[in-house]
Amino acid sequence: MIKNTIYIVLLLISTNCFSQYYKSYDWAKKPKLHDISADEAKEHSLAILKKSIVEYSSAALSTDLKQFETTHTIIRVNDEKGIGEHNRVYIPMYDVKNLIDVKARTINSDGKVTLLNKDNIKEVNNVEEYGDFKIFAIEGVEKNSEIEVLYTVEKEADLFGSETLQSDYFIKNAQFLYITGDLNSVVKAYRTTAKFENVITDGKASRLLDIKNIPAMIEEEYSTPNANKIAVVYQCFPKGQNITQDMFWSNVVNNVGGKIIPSSTNSQAKKDVEAMLKDKNALTNYDKAVLADNYIKTNFTVVKNNNAELSDLDYILKNRSASDFGILKVYTNYFNELKIPYELVITSNRFTYKFDPDFFIPNMLRDFLIYLPEEEKYIAPDRIEYRVGEAPFNILGSYGLFIKQDGSHYFSKIVQSDPNYSTIRRKVDITFNDDFESATLKQHQEQTGHWAVTSRAIMNLSTDQSIKEYKDYLTGSGIEDKVVESYDAENTEMNQSEYNVPFITNSTITSESIIEDAGDSYLFQIGRVIGTQSELYQEKERVNPIEMTYPNQYDYTITVDIPEGYTVEGLSSLNIDKSYKSDSTGEKLCKFESSYKLEGNKVIVTIQEFYKTNEYSLNRYEEFRSVINAASDFNKASILFKAK
Amino acid sequence: MKNLLFILFVMPFLLQAQDFSDEDYIYLKRHEHIKIGLSKQTFDITKQVSEQAEYLTAKKLYFANEAMHFDSFSSIEDIDAYTYLPERDSNVKVDYIETKREFDNGIFYSDQESKIFTFPAVTKGAITNLNYKEVIKDPHFLGLFRFGTFVPTKSAQLSIEFPTNVSIGYVDFNTKDIALDFKQETKKNTTTYTWTASNVKGFQSEDDGESVLYFMPHIIVYVKSYEYKGETINVLNDVNDLYKWYASLVNQIDNNDLEKVYKIADDITKNLQTKKQKAEAIFDWVQNNINYVAFEDGLGGFIPRGAASVCDKRYGDCKDMANLLYEMLNHVGIEAYRTWIGTRDRPYSYKDVPTPMVDNHMITTAIIDGETIFLDGTDSYVPFGMPSSFTQTKEALLGIDENTYRLITVPVQKADKSVADVTSTITIEDHMFKVNEKRLLTGYEKVDFITDYLYKRDSKSDEEFLNTTLALGNNKTNYNNIKKENFDNKNEALELSFDLEIDSYVKKVGNKLFINLDIDRVLSKSKIDIEDKKYDKKIDHTYTKNYVTTLTIPEGYHASFIPETLSFENPNYGYTITYTQKDNTIIQHKNIYINTLSIKKQDFESWNEFIKSLNKAYKKSIILEQNQ
Repeated sequence: MIKNTIYIVLLLISTNCFSQYYKSYDWAKKPKLHDISADEAKEHSLAILKKSIVEYSSAALSTDLKQFETTHTIIRVNDEKGIGEHNRVYIPMYDVKNLIDVKARTINSDGKVTLLNKDNIKEVNNVEEYGDFKIFAIEGVEKNSEIEVLYTVEKEADLFGSETLQSDYFIKNAQFLYITGDLNSVVKAYRTTAKFENVITDGKASRLLDIKNIPAMIEEEYSTPNANKIAVVYQCFPKGQNITQDMFWSNVVNNVGGKIIPSSTNSQAKKDVEAMLKDKNALTNYDKAVLADNYIKTNFTVVKNNNAELSDLDYILKNRSASDFGILKVYTNYFNELKIPYELVITSNRFTYKFDPDFFIPNMLRDFLIYLPEEEKYIAPDRIEYRVGEAPFNILGSYGLFIKQDGSHYFSKIVQSDPNYSTIRRKVDITFNDDFESATLKQHQEQTGHWAVTSRAIMNLSTDQSIKEYKDYLTGSGIEDKVVESYDAENTEMNQSEYNVPFITNSTITSESIIEDAGDSYLFQIGRVIGTQSELYQEKERVNPIEMTYPNQYDYTITVDIPEGYTVEGLSSLNIDKSYKSDSTGEKLCKFESSYKLEGNKVIVTIQEFYKTNEYSLNRYEEFRSVINAASDFNKASILFKAK
Repeated sequence: MKNLLFILFVMPFLLQAQDFSDEDYIYLKRHEHIKIGLSKQTFDITKQVSEQAEYLTAKKLYFANEAMHFDSFSSIEDIDAYTYLPERDSNVKVDYIETKREFDNGIFYSDQESKIFTFPAVTKGAITNLNYKEVIKDPHFLGLFRFGTFVPTKSAQLSIEFPTNVSIGYVDFNTKDIALDFKQETKKNTTTYTWTASNVKGFQSEDDGESVLYFMPHIIVYVKSYEYKGETINVLNDVNDLYKWYASLVNQIDNNDLEKVYKIADDITKNLQTKKQKAEAIFDWVQNNINYVAFEDGLGGFIPRGAASVCDKRYGDCKDMANLLYEMLNHVGIEAYRTWIGTRDRPYSYKDVPTPMVDNHMITTAIIDGETIFLDGTDSYVPFGMPSSFTQTKEALLGIDENTYRLITVPVQKADKSVADVTSTITIEDHMFKVNEKRLLTGYEKVDFITDYLYKRDSKSDEEFLNTTLALGNNKTNYNNIKKENFDNKNEALELSFDLEIDSYVKKVGNKLFINLDIDRVLSKSKIDIEDKKYDKKIDHTYTKNYVTTLTIPEGYHASFIPETLSFENPNYGYTITYTQKDNTIIQHKNIYINTLSIKKQDFESWNEFIKSLNKAYKKSIILEQNQ
């Protein structure tokens, strides 16, 4: 009996300890529509509230963590598009132990409340690589309604996590409440001036980030909007523990390094290397790396599924299939045998996540590269279009964790060894037929770097439709009536043995629409030779920092034959000079420069446009814009041929 | 000379038909064998699929990813897959297969799943082999077999084996250019039909082309009927049976709480007099209040959800909206029918293909004062009286009652129903080209603009959106005072107006100004690449565009050159541009029309002449000269 009482008391105490905030958190008993301003009424939709509560706890006598996440949103939908964006709810069940409660309701413009019938919640399992979901459609939504959704999940407790607070619609109030009680924890917010505030929630120490009026994240050219959203990251440690960032990183280094960096070469890998080296001699380390990279990319497939064996080296070498992680083992084994020094790099795609060396969360460890320190070159093992050279453009500029063969590590920004890696050199010779009916454009073009990578990938891997569109782009894009008289391409193969071999095209096109009749004169729209250029508009204030796809340079020489009996006028519009200079050195970081000279019966126009880095300061956006738009200005230039 | 050219063209094609050595990946074989069993009245149908593909290069190794789809009407069994490596004369077996689902933008919940795996060890020379059995649980869904697919096929074969008391129908499409061999064998109590084709080229879709089903050789087989105890029992003998089956499904609709639906219908129509007004009000209400959310779950994918439940939830898919319209319209005394229809990408008629392959959509047909009106609740902005544009030319199957149906073809909507009327006045101030423009859009022109504006604008500003879609003048045009009226599903024209300033557009040479009034160069990029384009060009709808552009001659100038009238006339497409001078203004009238939904291959040259002529006309500038 006494025993029983103690048991009951203990149970009460521990239940008490376990008492979770989500149990008392609820939505308004009698919901009313929130007031919105006239401007807000013009949006398709907006969030009145977007609240996340992350709560960690541990049982009195255990170090096991428990983790609960509550999501509460109130979305105002004003029109059909707004409804379409919010009337379908997907709750990811990845790492979820229990879906504790879900409820949803609609409050229409008359104040009528429609509650979700929970029988209509559907389960969808094994969705692509995302795992399981609970999904439901919101019932009773009309224009000018509010959709309110509240649910709590218990997660497989993890030491870290992240939450994106900004969205592609306006948020009047976003809150992130982090309840950790007496557990040690850290939390960090990105891209906001708002600060975490210490609060007590149900007697537990908590931190609250409360942000008002978060603008919608918008798509802009030369930007990485998805990676620029306001977000928080957090870590929480088991009772009594405190883990530093260094400890986390060392753990990753040991884990990944230990699995990937071999001390001796696998026997099948030895045979592969033997086959690779057959009849080859006097190879440099660079040659050997190219050999291995080409071999792997024409014999192995990187597979995305849950087959655990895809990271097992023996299985991989037999089945020639690997996960994006497993394929690294093939490289390191081959390189071990070939005696090529290398480092492993773990990083992230800068368009989706900004890698932060100062705060560890596994989310950002998504992309793997291999770095050849002697050559200062990268290999992207799971990118079929890349070969030994520079890092893929979506990684360029990110920080990465570099793991050396001896197990030590460092962080570094991923940069190009050749800043002039990506260029387009184009020579166009233009002649006119006798009566100025049409112009003939003979073009020789050499693309290097990422341009060449893209061209090869499209020509080799795409559908007929895309290849057709790309050929159109390569031969006088934007000249609608052009007739392609001839076209050929060189160095089209994906497997190349030298660094940065240009992708070369030679084409001849004719066009009538590029010349306009002007009485007894002819206007030649010379600007259209450089193709339609993008234009940056300034109507809305720029939100995102400027990030180019990659640094690049264009060098164009356009030679126009002046037909006998004609003079040419209006050449001054061909002189354009816009640039953006470094604050510190005065060096031009990007520019558009065009000029002409007259030589005999020829007008020779030279253009140089370059972007030396891929990042430009947001507060100098106008200068950047003037360079981009200068190319668009040139595209509008015409010259006039007048009978003598 | 012309003949010689023709031969040169044909030769490489013929050669290629036998030889696929330029390809990266081909099917050596794609064979399907359907076996139909019947015990008493229960079918037992399996399809044995056997495929073999070869990697001629190591470029497109991504073809190693294989997926087999199934849903509650089918299952996939006995998968045997391996890669054969001729160099090593060895097989590497597929040892890992996952069952996966996908999220689809159009369908919120679907019971479709896929068996997914990746062939191991693919490289140049590898031959992949896939054999599996598909169990077909419902005799209405025997499906479709493609003799051609996205890459060439050396040997394509479909066979169907069935007891002699079962009758099988079939219809093939686009097979006149392949040597399709048909064989019929009868053994004891079974008959087998076999179709074989060799060396069939690849078929890939084109963005502006008609659906590939219009060109790709394929065949549809179906169970017509069977004999049971001396009686013939029809399954899908003809469209009567298809309809009977549909009617039996419709009979299962949940008709609870219809009073709720009737009350809404009464409320919407209470102050309206004519049937047309009432029908329009009901159609508007459904377009405005029922959101498109699709569930495809077994037969639930064929049976509309109850009208009351759709009203409560405020969402539904095409058949749910069709049934709701049907209930509401009939309740207020309007003759209306649930209607099955295929969209334009299905090239079939009910008569030729009496199977569920023929349609993929549902609408409602109302008959008012002898006029047939097609109502598609899923098209939120189509005005009352017009069908959704993707159902034009298609056969509609109207369910009259349990045993009666009617087939009506949805007519092509005439070009005068989708009109863009553009009025512009132009002035020139300090070489700046200034335009005040008003656009009135009706019919599908209006639907398209609203849809693009809502769904393709993303986070672009109005100015950027108009600059990139209308592309008036050039992409540096300044837009001011943008106004939009009638952004709705009503019959009134959408009204869009704005002021433009176009820099570096007026060309000044000496004392002359060159002024081109064609700031809108619609169709200028529509030339067809005859050599590359494989299929007929698809046009979504017919239309007319009328432009009246008035240029005020700036003070101190006079017109020294005004372009002459130019035109291109063809019954299907054409334009006329005329210029007239009146006092100190020059007025350009421009009319462009498209009267067809498809440009056939044999008409490509004529189409290109039209575009060429139009582009030539667009180039013509007015010359203004400074007064001496």
